[in-house]
Amino acid sequence: MSLNVKPVVSALRHNRAGAMLVALEIAIALAVMVNAAWIVAQRVHAIETPTGIDYHNMFAIGIAGVTGDFNPSAAEQADLAYVRSLPGVVSASVASGVPLAAHGQGDFFWKSPEQRGAMINPRTMQMDENGLKTLGAHIVAGRDFTAADIVPYFNDYSRLAHEALITQSLARKLFPGGDALGKALYTGSDNLVTIIGITNDFMGSVVRADPSYDTLVFPQTPGTDGFYYILVRTRPGKTQALMQAVVDHIAPSSLDRVITFAHPFDYFKQRLDAENRNVVIFLTTITALVLAVACLGIFGLTTFNVSARTKQIGTMRAIGARRRDVVAHFMIENAIVLIAGVLVGCTLALGAAYWLTAQYQLPRLDLVYLAVGVIGVAIVGQLAAWQPARRAASVPPSVATRTV
Amino acid sequence: MLGYYLRLSLKSLRRTPGLTALMVCAIALGIGACIVTLTVYHAMSGNPIWWKNNVLYAVTMDSWEAARPYDPEHPTLPPWQMTYKDATYLAQSNIPKRSVVMAQLHGSLSGVAGQRLPVNALTRATTGDFFAMFDVPFQYGGPWRAEADKGPEPVIVLSKAMNDTLFGGRDSVGKTVVWSGHQFRVTGVLADWQPLPKFYDLIDNGPFAAPEDVFVPFAWTAIMQQFPTGNTDCPSTTKERTFRDFLGSECVWTEMWVELPTAASRHRFQAFMDAYWAAQHRAGRFPRPLNNHLTTVDQWLQINGVVSSDSRILLRVAFAFLAVCLINTVGILLTKFLRGAPLTGLRRALGARRIQIFLQHIVEVSMVSLAGGTLGLALGAFGLLAVRALYGEADQYGALAHFDPLGVAWALALAALSTLAAGLYPALTAGRVPPAVYLKSR
Repeated sequence: MSLNVKPVVSALRHNRAGAMLVALEIAIALAVMVNAAWIVAQRVHAIETPTGIDYHNMFAIGIAGVTGDFNPSAAEQADLAYVRSLPGVVSASVASGVPLAAHGQGDFFWKSPEQRGAMINPRTMQMDENGLKTLGAHIVAGRDFTAADIVPYFNDYSRLAHEALITQSLARKLFPGGDALGKALYTGSDNLVTIIGITNDFMGSVVRADPSYDTLVFPQTPGTDGFYYILVRTRPGKTQALMQAVVDHIAPSSLDRVITFAHPFDYFKQRLDAENRNVVIFLTTITALVLAVACLGIFGLTTFNVSARTKQIGTMRAIGARRRDVVAHFMIENAIVLIAGVLVGCTLALGAAYWLTAQYQLPRLDLVYLAVGVIGVAIVGQLAAWQPARRAASVPPSVATRTV
Repeated sequence: MLGYYLRLSLKSLRRTPGLTALMVCAIALGIGACIVTLTVYHAMSGNPIWWKNNVLYAVTMDSWEAARPYDPEHPTLPPWQMTYKDATYLAQSNIPKRSVVMAQLHGSLSGVAGQRLPVNALTRATTGDFFAMFDVPFQYGGPWRAEADKGPEPVIVLSKAMNDTLFGGRDSVGKTVVWSGHQFRVTGVLADWQPLPKFYDLIDNGPFAAPEDVFVPFAWTAIMQQFPTGNTDCPSTTKERTFRDFLGSECVWTEMWVELPTAASRHRFQAFMDAYWAAQHRAGRFPRPLNNHLTTVDQWLQINGVVSSDSRILLRVAFAFLAVCLINTVGILLTKFLRGAPLTGLRRALGARRIQIFLQHIVEVSMVSLAGGTLGLALGAFGLLAVRALYGEADQYGALAHFDPLGVAWALALAALSTLAAGLYPALTAGRVPPAVYLKSR
């Protein structure tokens, strides 16, 4: 018996509403799955974007002066001396911001004085000569800071550093010709800053949960605003214990300051990813469930059709249909429903994708996702009908001769 | 009759336990997903001081530089915060019933009997109207007197948590504490208070941050000579470097709110602001066009993007999922009722009216709906628990994922309505079964 579609179609028309419902179910499921997978892909990419720093083995402590007697310079040096004396500490630096965290600042720069030409607004950090080593970042061109470069803390912003390190990304943005080294940048008030080194890409402090590689580092010890951060890199597995040791040492050391926070960098990274991770978990769960529910729908429909048509199947068998013809009959019937559902689903999926792009600036849907979704639904959908179709094939021809 | 229908439905549901379980689970999953997303969305989109929505206004004016807007992505918006000089000038007006100027400072608290080390205290420096204006509840004492803002007097209000830490929850009004090296007198202790979203502090700490530990008069910011620790944005033209100059600079770092109970007072204050703007503009300030705003809490939450686009997307995905679950249920019910058609035909032939057949099937649908809704509610509560466990109370989702009574009501209504809607068509179909057809074949 050849693949005869006509009897299948006429059979379908007997349970039109049921078939249409399953097709609709498949359509919505496909639209949800494809777009959810696309969103998940974006979020996974964001989570996996390299930070450029060795965040698994680092911690940060925030220090704030709270009386007029607080002397940040002396406090910084004492803190650093203690931290560096601890076995297990790889490197430590004071800093004016915390990479991956919301603690930090940004500034405006121009390539010409008097704010002429294009402006760039990177995250800026003040660190000492151990800064890069502490982050686990490194120089790719030019040189790192030396102790002689470091401009000491002053109690207002009147003493500024005139040298800086920038990341590769920032260098490319500012000087697409690749000749950033040695070039000058100007702040809004025409302070001249010379680029003495270019580092690998690393994320600075984060604005509005949107990390970027546009980072610029000044050779300066912070404290001007009355607070500074101690960044510490440790040997693997030592972070938590060393952080506790430093906190226990610093907390009682002076009444002129307080610890505002102490966190491993894993904490900052986790917070940075929290929303993305939430979206990934939720959408992955929903995608799996929606596919499962749609398959149950297919399974239910085919099962019903099989049991409702037991007698007809028996008749088919009695007049010569083979088992596999019966299976084919139900599989084709299911395929027709699937095709209808997938066609509507593609329209729905593209519509939803268009809406997401227009409304939420999501990148345009990669059609590969749609293709994979369609193929996946087709395969899984046919598998869901397989078991009831097999059961139909086991209906003996003798059923036809019996009255119910 | 209802009892009879219930018995019939139970019997019918028991006859196909697999299908029944399938329907109940599908509905429960859909409802559960919707509850989780709806709860988070509802918490995000709420206005924690809705009863004062048309009375409280955030004050903003465009003091930014000529060359570029404050936020290039939203060029029509003025900066979120105000300069020190503008805020303190506008706050002198007696047009508003109340007005507040505030900023965030670092601070520490010490000097309490038995206390060894200073504790970190997230500090809001604010004028005293803050408490009455935002209806802040007090456990002990109250706000400082209006005169205390001028001196400023060394007076301080503690949060409940801070009072618990320092004084073990006892009434500390009148006691002296050392805030950042200065002796302050406690005038009040707040009761539990956490407005979500934290509408008055969207910029410094974000909409779902914990409340401050202590509150001191705003004028202490100038005395402390300490740069504020909240968000501070300076135009690129800023040349001021010292703290004294900083106060007179164009940097924006204070937040200002006013309470204007009538439309007339709102117009008067708007006119006052505009006149101030014009005078300053003539004097060479405010290079950008006039853009003075009085923004209600609702609008403030909206333009600050408090409801994340993620939560909107997830909500819609959850509803699409619920739709699939319901369509699935409709399909199963339809199948089931049609399968029972011979029996229905018999009952029709024996005299059951259409409406009775319909009602009997609706009863069956309702039972499925009730079971699905209840299970969905449990799943939703469990989901919220999981979200909280995953993120912790301090995190934004953790703080938002609380099962609120309104959410439960929503969920129940959603479960009941959606399943009934889903069951309507199959029940109607069952009611339309003609008696004759199914009797003939017997």
